[in-house]
Amino acid sequence: MKANPKRSESAASHVLRANSFRSLARPHWQAPRTGLQIAAINLIAVVLCCWAGTARANDETLTIAFAAEATQVDPTRTTAGVDDYFMNLFFERLLATNPELEHVNWLAEHWEMIEEGDRIRIDVKLREGVKFHNGDEMTAHDFRFAYDRMREPTSGVAVYVRYITDVEIHDDYRISLHLSQPDPTVVNSNMYIWAIPKNYFESVGDEGFQKHPVGTGPWKFVSRRPRDELVVERFDDYWNKDVMPGYKRLIIKIIPEDTTRVAAYKTGAVDWIDAVPPAQVKEFQSLPSTRVINLQAGNNLYINLNAIDRKSPFRDPRVRLAVAHAVDFDAIIEYVLFGQGIRTPQLAPGSLGYDPELKAHPYDPQKARELLKEAGYPDGIAINCYNLTTPREPYFKEVGETIYAYLAESGINCRIEQMEYGAWINAGRYNARPWMDGLQPTMWGHGLPGDPTVAWGGHMHSNGDGWGAYSYHSDSDIDRRVEELRRLMDEDERAEKIRELALLKHSLAAGGIPTYRPVITFAWRDTVSFNPWPGAYWRSMRQIRPCPSKDCRSTMKGD
Amino acid sequence: MRRYIFDRLWQGAVAILGAVLIVFIAQRLAGDPLGLLLPMDATEADFAAMRIELGLDQPLLVQFWRFLQSVAVGDFGYSYQWQVPAMELILDRLPATLELAVAGLVFAITLAVPLGVLSALYQGSAVDRVAKVFAMLGQAIPSFWIGLLLILFFAVTLNWLPAYGRGGFSHLVLPAIALGWYPVAAMTRTLRSAMLDILQSDYVRMARSVGLSERAIVWKYALRNAAVPLATMIGVYFANMLGGAFVVEVVFAWPGIGRTVVEAVFSRDFPVVQAGVILSALVFVVVNLLVDLSYGFIDPRIRHDR
Repeated sequence: MKANPKRSESAASHVLRANSFRSLARPHWQAPRTGLQIAAINLIAVVLCCWAGTARANDETLTIAFAAEATQVDPTRTTAGVDDYFMNLFFERLLATNPELEHVNWLAEHWEMIEEGDRIRIDVKLREGVKFHNGDEMTAHDFRFAYDRMREPTSGVAVYVRYITDVEIHDDYRISLHLSQPDPTVVNSNMYIWAIPKNYFESVGDEGFQKHPVGTGPWKFVSRRPRDELVVERFDDYWNKDVMPGYKRLIIKIIPEDTTRVAAYKTGAVDWIDAVPPAQVKEFQSLPSTRVINLQAGNNLYINLNAIDRKSPFRDPRVRLAVAHAVDFDAIIEYVLFGQGIRTPQLAPGSLGYDPELKAHPYDPQKARELLKEAGYPDGIAINCYNLTTPREPYFKEVGETIYAYLAESGINCRIEQMEYGAWINAGRYNARPWMDGLQPTMWGHGLPGDPTVAWGGHMHSNGDGWGAYSYHSDSDIDRRVEELRRLMDEDERAEKIRELALLKHSLAAGGIPTYRPVITFAWRDTVSFNPWPGAYWRSMRQIRPCPSKDCRSTMKGD
Repeated sequence: MRRYIFDRLWQGAVAILGAVLIVFIAQRLAGDPLGLLLPMDATEADFAAMRIELGLDQPLLVQFWRFLQSVAVGDFGYSYQWQVPAMELILDRLPATLELAVAGLVFAITLAVPLGVLSALYQGSAVDRVAKVFAMLGQAIPSFWIGLLLILFFAVTLNWLPAYGRGGFSHLVLPAIALGWYPVAAMTRTLRSAMLDILQSDYVRMARSVGLSERAIVWKYALRNAAVPLATMIGVYFANMLGGAFVVEVVFAWPGIGRTVVEAVFSRDFPVVQAGVILSALVFVVVNLLVDLSYGFIDPRIRHDR
């Protein structure tokens, strides 16, 4: 059962641009002028070349580099998005999101949702014959075990299964998820529950599992040196041969510094890198024998206009709209982000309820000043502006600073408060103390393809129930619409309701002003075939294979 | 001598206790770690449960007492983020940090000693001026920039050395230069100044008058006497390199302690910060103790005075 096949049409736009070039090139240095220089350089080169030892791709082993790494690898304990980078190599859920951004059956062979009034049950038939990396066969008990661990109050992830009251086991391959109320996010999050090998986990304990995770995924754990590398091996007994990796071994190097990661690629030490710095994307697109792909990240960036103070100017929709008109986001995307962003009037392409007809508020500082004047602020306003200094997204700090400069041009003057990540994320919590009152460039992620219901609950509902930074907006009509969305399970109906609410949200600039969705760029050599899957922010490394021939290169992604 | 060592040991213990106290208080002042450990929509009950789980619901004095008890037996608890024992996380990275610090120090000494001696012997000459400029550059250029330049030139352009990571000797060359260049300046100037004083002293004039070779005077007598201030400096810089190589570790993706601890500070991972800082303090104290003891071997007068 596919959750919403209709979405695949617009979802194809997640692949934005790509380039490829034929000939192999290596970095060249300037030719020395004298024979002595040539001799000296040759001598040093002969001595040093054997030390440098680059790791070129072969059909057995592929060495790649990530900018960041998971801190821990237990899916029942994870709270950081970056943990997905490794977890997705080892673990799988009942459903998965395919490259066309469709929810497809995965460890669930099929499933059925049964609604009886407010009581909802999802009956799941598990795939038979699926093996864990240690040879154990996956059964219903492994899902029940994972669910029980997630439900523990200190798991940190209990909130994701708060509406699943029970995972009932019928036999080894049949389970039922009982929901206390309708929760459309269950399907959207691929039913969230992972397959965790109960027997193995109980024999090694928490610490043992962290040190040697075992799942059903296409890669199995070999070794890890935190802050250095993760080594994984192809799981030859993997159940889904269609998406088997082609390499026997994958070495993931962790190189956080952009320049160094780029240098590692250019020197041939690694053959695939993530997070190509936006300023260097064009350069990579002109590198010979290199494929480049731009993909939309699952993050949605927006400006939160917090109005917890009853006297806040942001309680007036005209002031909020003034902010929307005061900033030229197209220019920010082009010049600050080097084009690596998708302008989002409300939702991004691929999200449930995306409306291609909805256009962003145009940049018009004159209109912004007029709106402020109409709202009773002819001399402008002075507000607090909270800026994140940690690079949570590329150039996020610089984007914030540019926004404040634009706002000042229209009479919205910022008292800028720079914040590191810990302080910043706490400021965005509901009723966090001290109260944040002002403007905060922030973000909410819902993965891909995504559904905004939960986030919009936080952004717009007057009781703030939901996810993300809170605007403390109060509007009974919006409250009613959000509540309706929360209980609506039919996806087509949901898409329509989301479109209607997006339009209302847009006209009132309610619950913050969407800005852009970041674009992430991967680059790899054309001796590698790579088909990105959206799991782990496109880093799940399922369909990655050697590509030695021209025929292979002509058909692979990145063309 | 025994009394001296005993005095230095208890002073070191006080210094470590001070570090324990400062790191404990500073971490608590930095903010609540729970915000980073729980999802945005975690409930108050989730917060309360996690606070109890981590022992953060207890009064600060109780937390500190428990912390001291654990530290005394070498138990720093589990990393909030990595969910493995914090000290294990730090000790895993200690060899990489030691390797880089030793290599950086060797580079610094190898460069600073000849430069210092030659610039003292040929005061005002081209050698002296070159040494001055070289040393000044090392002090003036931030290590991350030196690191990036080294990568661009030796790894990307020439493709002679690896750009990143820990591996064989070749991986060590560039980060060691980036880390070791900064102390070269201070060591060179200190050695030059000490050598100049010594070369003008009575016993050197006496040595010259009895016909000892210039080489023996410089390398055997003068340098040995100039080595005491140099040893102090080496100790301080070595300890700094062990604890403060964060920038170089990030640039070269070197899996050392500095990077781990700084990232733990940002994620408010108290156990890892505490384990890292206390281990660094311990290393600092031990290195300084060894430096103090080395004075006695370099200069017998110090040994006999004690």
